[in-house]
Amino acid sequence: MQKNRLSSVLSTFVVCYVFWLLLTWNFSAQELVMGAVVCLCVAWFASRMFIHEDPTWLFKPQKLLALLAYIPLFLRELWKANVDMAKRCFGGCRSINPGIIKVPVEAKGLYAQAMLANSITLTPGTITMDIVSENGKDYYYIHWIDVTTTDRVKAGEIIKGSLEKGVRRIWE
Amino acid sequence: MSDMLVFSIFFALLAVMNLYRLLKGPTAADRMVAGDSADVLICCAMVLYSVYSGRGIYLDIAIVSALLGIIDTMLVGRYLDNGRWLKK
Amino acid sequence: MILLRLLIGAIIVIGGIFALAGTIGILRMPDTYSRMQASTCISTMGAIGVLLGAALYAALILHAPGTTVKIVVIGLLILTVNPVGAHAIARGAYRNGVRPENGMKIDDLGRDFYE
Repeated sequence: MQKNRLSSVLSTFVVCYVFWLLLTWNFSAQELVMGAVVCLCVAWFASRMFIHEDPTWLFKPQKLLALLAYIPLFLRELWKANVDMAKRCFGGCRSINPGIIKVPVEAKGLYAQAMLANSITLTPGTITMDIVSENGKDYYYIHWIDVTTTDRVKAGEIIKGSLEKGVRRIWE
Repeated sequence: MSDMLVFSIFFALLAVMNLYRLLKGPTAADRMVAGDSADVLICCAMVLYSVYSGRGIYLDIAIVSALLGIIDTMLVGRYLDNGRWLKK
Repeated sequence: MILLRLLIGAIIVIGGIFALAGTIGILRMPDTYSRMQASTCISTMGAIGVLLGAALYAALILHAPGTTVKIVVIGLLILTVNPVGAHAIARGAYRNGVRPENGMKIDDLGRDFYE
């Protein structure tokens, strides 16, 4: 437990310090030392809220590569959904067909589920409203602007098909 | 050189258009959504104005504005859901 | 130089078109959740287009790396942190009893938690 605490403080410290360097963009000695002290204090208090699972995943190169490979896939989905949503916005209230649908999810773990839910919310046209887990399986309740099918598995394939593959490649 | 200024004014006008929904919206969630998107638009306008005028202080204000906008959206969201289900 | 400016202007104009679409959606959509969906359009593609254009302008015309990095950080902040607010407010509105007037085609959340 002690080793786990130490490594989670260290990884929080690295994230905070990278953020500090990006924000100040000033490499004189006093800025670097002051940033290190402040980041260490913040990491000491915030690490138990920030890290819930394996704290060293960011330092494994294949996970980092999978994260980088996720970005263009996500941007492509984002572009398609945005063009569709913009057409609906200019088209007015006849072009929407909303509904809330319950979709089964295969991704395991807190980080993977949070990342998948945020990706779904970020693509226009779908908002994750709630997450429940019933006898070992997890379900999302998703508000969908254009309900083309009421079959839950097919709807899940349409909404999160390629995103879920990318997320599972990162976290498993 | 002044094209950035034109874009910045355009985004500020979009944020003003959002204020209509903020004033009229029938429920609290409508008002909060409009306020949140006005916040993002003002953040974008501030970045463009900073690039136009070459002063870095507007970027810091844009960062603070983006962060505080999220915090108050989450605050109102948590307040609305009340921890329990309300019948209509 | 002039081509570079045209390219940056085109990127910002694309972002502006998406932001305009989101604003019109917020003003015109008939119910609360659809307005939420329209507002997502502003905070993704509108913000990405504008911030990408501004970052290119700062990097290639102003030659200011600190400004560029700060703009990229603002973009990352908006992208990572905005869906959390949208999720909280959608759930809060549903639990508070907001329903669309025109009805929904399928409502699993109401089915599972009310009856």
